[in-house]
Amino acid sequence: MLAMDQGVVEEWLSEFKTLPDSAVSTYAASLKEKGSLVPALYKVIRENYSDLLEPVCHQLFEFYRSGEPQLQRFTLQFLPELLWSLLSVSAARDPHTSGCIEALLLGIYNLEIVDKDGQSKVLSFTVPSLCKPSVYHEPSAIGSMALTEGALANHGLSRVVYSGPHLQRETFTAQNRFEVLTFLLLCYNAALSYMTSTSLQSLCQLSSRVCICGYPRQQMRRYKGISTRLTVTSEFLVQLITGIHYALCNGEVELGSKALDDVLYRAQLELFPEALLVGNAIKSSLHGAALKSNNKEGARSIQVEITPTSSRISRNAVTSLSIRGHRWKRHDAVDLGSPDELMDISELDEGVWPGGVGPDMTPPTITISNSVTTLNLGAKAMKKCRLGGRTSKDKDKEAGPLTTGRAASENTELSVKRLTLTSSQSVPKAGALTSLTRTASAVFSRSFEQVASGNAPPASNHTASEAGRYSCSLQEEGLGYLSPAPNHTQRSPSISVHLGSDL
Amino acid sequence: MTARKSGSRLETEIERCRSECQWDKIPELVRQLSAKLISNDDLGELLLGECKLQTYLKENPIKQGASPRGPRPKLVEVRKHLTAALDRGNLKPDYLQEASLLMAKLCYVEGEYRDALGHYSRVSLDDMQLAGAPVYRLSMIAEAYATKGLCLEKVPAASPSLTNKNTGSPLSNRSTTEREQEIITCYEKSGDIALLYLQEAEKALSAGIQNRSPKPGPTAQDQELGYFLETGLQRAHVIHFKNGNLTQGVGRFREILRAVETRTTQNLRMTIARQLAEILLRGMCEQSYWSPLEDPPTVSPLDDPTRQGHTHSKNYSLSRRPRVYSGENLFCPQENTEEALLLLLISESMANRDAVLSRIPEHNNDRIISLQSASVVYDLLTIALGRRGQYEMLSECLERAMKFAFEEFHLWYQLALSLMAAGKSARAVKVLKECIRLKPDDPTIPLLAVKLCIGPLHWLDEGECFAKMVIDMGEKAAEFRAKGYLAIGLVYSLKATDASLRSTQEDYQRKALGAFQRAQSLSPTDHLAAFYLALQLAVSRQIPEALGYVRQALQLQGDDVHSLHLLALLLSAQKHYHDGLNIIEMALSEYPENFNLLYTKVKLEAMCRGPEEALLTCKHMLQIWKSFYNLTNPSDSGRGSSLLDRAIADRRQLNAMTLPDFSDPETGSVHATSIAASRVEQALSEVASSLQSSAPKHGPLHPWMTLAQIWLHAAEVYIGMSKPAEATACTQEAANLFPTSHNVLYMRGQIAELRGNIDEAKRWYEEALSINPTHVKTMQRLGLILHQLQRYSLSEKVLRDAVQVNSTAHDVWNSLGEVLQAQGNAAAATECFLTALELEASSPILPFTIIPRAL
Repeated sequence: MLAMDQGVVEEWLSEFKTLPDSAVSTYAASLKEKGSLVPALYKVIRENYSDLLEPVCHQLFEFYRSGEPQLQRFTLQFLPELLWSLLSVSAARDPHTSGCIEALLLGIYNLEIVDKDGQSKVLSFTVPSLCKPSVYHEPSAIGSMALTEGALANHGLSRVVYSGPHLQRETFTAQNRFEVLTFLLLCYNAALSYMTSTSLQSLCQLSSRVCICGYPRQQMRRYKGISTRLTVTSEFLVQLITGIHYALCNGEVELGSKALDDVLYRAQLELFPEALLVGNAIKSSLHGAALKSNNKEGARSIQVEITPTSSRISRNAVTSLSIRGHRWKRHDAVDLGSPDELMDISELDEGVWPGGVGPDMTPPTITISNSVTTLNLGAKAMKKCRLGGRTSKDKDKEAGPLTTGRAASENTELSVKRLTLTSSQSVPKAGALTSLTRTASAVFSRSFEQVASGNAPPASNHTASEAGRYSCSLQEEGLGYLSPAPNHTQRSPSISVHLGSDL
Repeated sequence: MTARKSGSRLETEIERCRSECQWDKIPELVRQLSAKLISNDDLGELLLGECKLQTYLKENPIKQGASPRGPRPKLVEVRKHLTAALDRGNLKPDYLQEASLLMAKLCYVEGEYRDALGHYSRVSLDDMQLAGAPVYRLSMIAEAYATKGLCLEKVPAASPSLTNKNTGSPLSNRSTTEREQEIITCYEKSGDIALLYLQEAEKALSAGIQNRSPKPGPTAQDQELGYFLETGLQRAHVIHFKNGNLTQGVGRFREILRAVETRTTQNLRMTIARQLAEILLRGMCEQSYWSPLEDPPTVSPLDDPTRQGHTHSKNYSLSRRPRVYSGENLFCPQENTEEALLLLLISESMANRDAVLSRIPEHNNDRIISLQSASVVYDLLTIALGRRGQYEMLSECLERAMKFAFEEFHLWYQLALSLMAAGKSARAVKVLKECIRLKPDDPTIPLLAVKLCIGPLHWLDEGECFAKMVIDMGEKAAEFRAKGYLAIGLVYSLKATDASLRSTQEDYQRKALGAFQRAQSLSPTDHLAAFYLALQLAVSRQIPEALGYVRQALQLQGDDVHSLHLLALLLSAQKHYHDGLNIIEMALSEYPENFNLLYTKVKLEAMCRGPEEALLTCKHMLQIWKSFYNLTNPSDSGRGSSLLDRAIADRRQLNAMTLPDFSDPETGSVHATSIAASRVEQALSEVASSLQSSAPKHGPLHPWMTLAQIWLHAAEVYIGMSKPAEATACTQEAANLFPTSHNVLYMRGQIAELRGNIDEAKRWYEEALSINPTHVKTMQRLGLILHQLQRYSLSEKVLRDAVQVNSTAHDVWNSLGEVLQAQGNAAAATECFLTALELEASSPILPFTIIPRAL
């Protein structure tokens, strides 16, 4: 350490002590002008054994305690360097510990976790919701699409705690170390805009070193410091990434992207989903963004161009918006008239299968459409089908094997016909059958139609419900999951219909 | 249309066509007009000039960034019309102004910037009335301001400052500043009026549609802004950002976004909302933020310091401004993340609307565009929500991204990670499977899946599959290969614990050991490999070898809590209880709030220092528990208050839960039969962790469980002191929380035994076993009681079952020996006693499996 630097630091140490309270803010503003002071302080922190370290830490703490924002930021700019100093010493298991750095960091932490009245501080924020009008939107204009189940569940704005309350800490232990450091980084990140580029560089270095020390990548980065692995937590890495993101977008492209890579490398090795998630997102969002504007003056790489306001998506492409009207039209046909039926659907929604169902009953899985509505309707149709099936069996009991035989032969004929069917065929409008066909989805209705047309002439004296009955039993056989067993007299009247995904 | 229209009606029709940019209809209308009123010929010239100019611009659009050059033959006609209209001077003043504006526009298109500026100065734009003006004129004025700005940018600032040439740079510098200010003001005015125009146009259109319903008007989507309005809307903030003037740029963005949306501005709003969110996330922090309804700070670190002083304040006012969102209880963000989130949610809803669903090749490009614009929004959402730890909400958002996700690895992977972070493990594994399919070479993905399978899900077979994938990658997996072996070792190790047949158990133990050895040799600097090798050796009771490896692990990672714990247990297995206690105390100095260590401490203290010390530790644990979970904050309501508050809310469900083995609290690894019981616990802890992700995830499953365990430990100490009353009180505390826990019932049985109520004890033990049929300790006690009751064969059966479940429980072997002896089977009894003796020599104070096994 040069004598000159020492002189600068010593002068800085002495002048604050004699400062009257009224002059603190002007003094804070004047600190910027002392060009050689900050580098000299960095040197003091890096040289762990400097005699000046203790008074410097003390002074930095005094700055922080003064409550003057500019002085607090002056202290905060050294935070990455201080963190590295602390971590490297603790990793090296150096008995010559930097007690004063620990004290400084714990001091800042203990100041920050309480509010002015000494109560535990809880950092919270409001999760905005599109359901509530804001200065930027009106819920009605957003349309129903964004009002998903999740959005409606949190109807209104909710306040969410993202940090705190925290316990006061007297000492660093292996257990609380990263909890404290994560919180300190959170404070640092809250003041990122005020940090100098030196501080941001120091943050990037800290991130790289913490993540790679002791791992094969250390050789690649040619860092020769400590070589023991440092334990980290996912939350700590997420805070580091937040800082790196800022550095990356504000002039520190090279160091920043290196640091981001290193953090992601470590997050992969540790299998930390949170850090991977945020890191991947930053990488992917910057992938296209122009980071080239890296002039050395630390220019912000936030560039905005005039963009065409017309939609770049051609009009004839099917989009979620355009398909919306489409889909609703199809479902308009569904008769949801009586509240009774609606209740059925909601019951099914909750996964309750109405009626006395055997234990081996599996809920139908229908994969005709990916729309939830269709699934429910399908399930409803299924229920009807099951009920219809029951009547069919009851009737079968009376009719005997003759009917079954006829039904079976018709079925074989049907399955051939079904192949040649087109959806344009009209639906016979008749009672229960109609409602069945209406509710059922494509494949269903086709087979029903066929059943109706195939059965109508021989069963002309039958009622419409009987037509429905045939359709149901045939349906079951067609699906191949259940065939009427010869001994159905002993069977329970309730028949389980298993629908496979091959529908 | 050929029908003659009355004068006023014709004028309205012309106005409508001009407002709706239906230029092709103008010539016909002009013909009708001239047939009607001869004196309005000049108006006809104006209209024809306008319509020809607009048609020309529609056919030859000016591109952003390109400057128009030179006169075009097609425009000669336009000039002729406009000159005619202007020269004769018969027009009403309003129309005269319009003609001048059109002339200026023409000049700009032909590259005559100075002439254009001349026209503008004659018209005096600022005096033009906005209130009551027809819709088309608003557009005209907006375009005029934009064009003026464009011209000012083109014409070098030299001309006005020429006179000051000799006075030196400061003054000319000032004049450039003034000029910059003038340019920006032009654009800002243009943008404001353009927004107003669009709002009015939409209003007029919807009114028009209502009035003449049968005639379908042009769909509003057909309306495009055109070069001048686009420039007017965006150029101001582009200049702000170019000048490093972030505060002003952000202010301008907010003004545009606060104006009520029209269909035409939807895309612009989506882009601007995303860009503003980017700036909020990339260039701002909590301390430099100001809310949209506040005045920006006068000095901000966001602005380029070298251009400080070049900042402009907005210094114009318009007689009419675009409508902004208003009303009561309007949400206004107070923090940069809040604002970014709100903006991103708005962008997301729009991006989602534009998702191209068809997969036919013709729409490939559209699909890429819609995917790109959406994935940028989702990435930014991830950044914003990740910062705030809101993984639950993030996973819901990313789920909406799935309509874009077909074969898109990035979106799938992000969804999987968000589900994992939100604690939705089962779904995460399913999504990870798809990720593996899309990117089979990445070893991280199957490892993430194993982590979930081993940890919260306990899906060991699936876990084995995933771990094998990593191992099968071989050299390609590089540094992850060792992790793959570690993972499969853990799977085998857990399977060994679950296995009920001794042979399978031993088989899995052998496999686990092999895998850990492989991991350790592949990555000798990884403390986890050494540690799990040590743990596995310890479980198979190879104590000296285990000690060797745990020392190695500690050399690599001196303050690893599990290694320290294992060391203490190993020392206790060698009956060096005092050394073990010392290690535990040392570990506790680094991990003072680790309940697992404290449980072991209670046991060791009771052994070495007497029960009073152990009770003190129990008391200490209760204090820690209180300070840990009792940090309530009264001001905070809703989701995410203190842990304890949430726990109380969950308390209703506690009756349905059982406590995990307290003396065998395999937090990381649950025995197969207690899994059903712990499912509820898991579901609950998932709820808890999703409520607040800052909650200690690797900590105890549930605060109430920890509390119950502390009480049970205290009860056990009291039983050791032969104080049934106190033990009952402690057990009652635990029973209040978990009335149906087998541990509570087991403890009651012990108390009953202590009191000499053999029958009561038997009943309690039987109840405990009906809840958890494989609880070895209960089985052992029950076996002993049955022995006392001289029901030897039943006792033998129970004890043999217990040995099947856990073959290393020496006291069970001992009891079995006693039963066999009582039955006269001396040879078998001897064997049991010998086994018991042998096992006792290597038995730790608490089972090694209390140390969690997780990746």
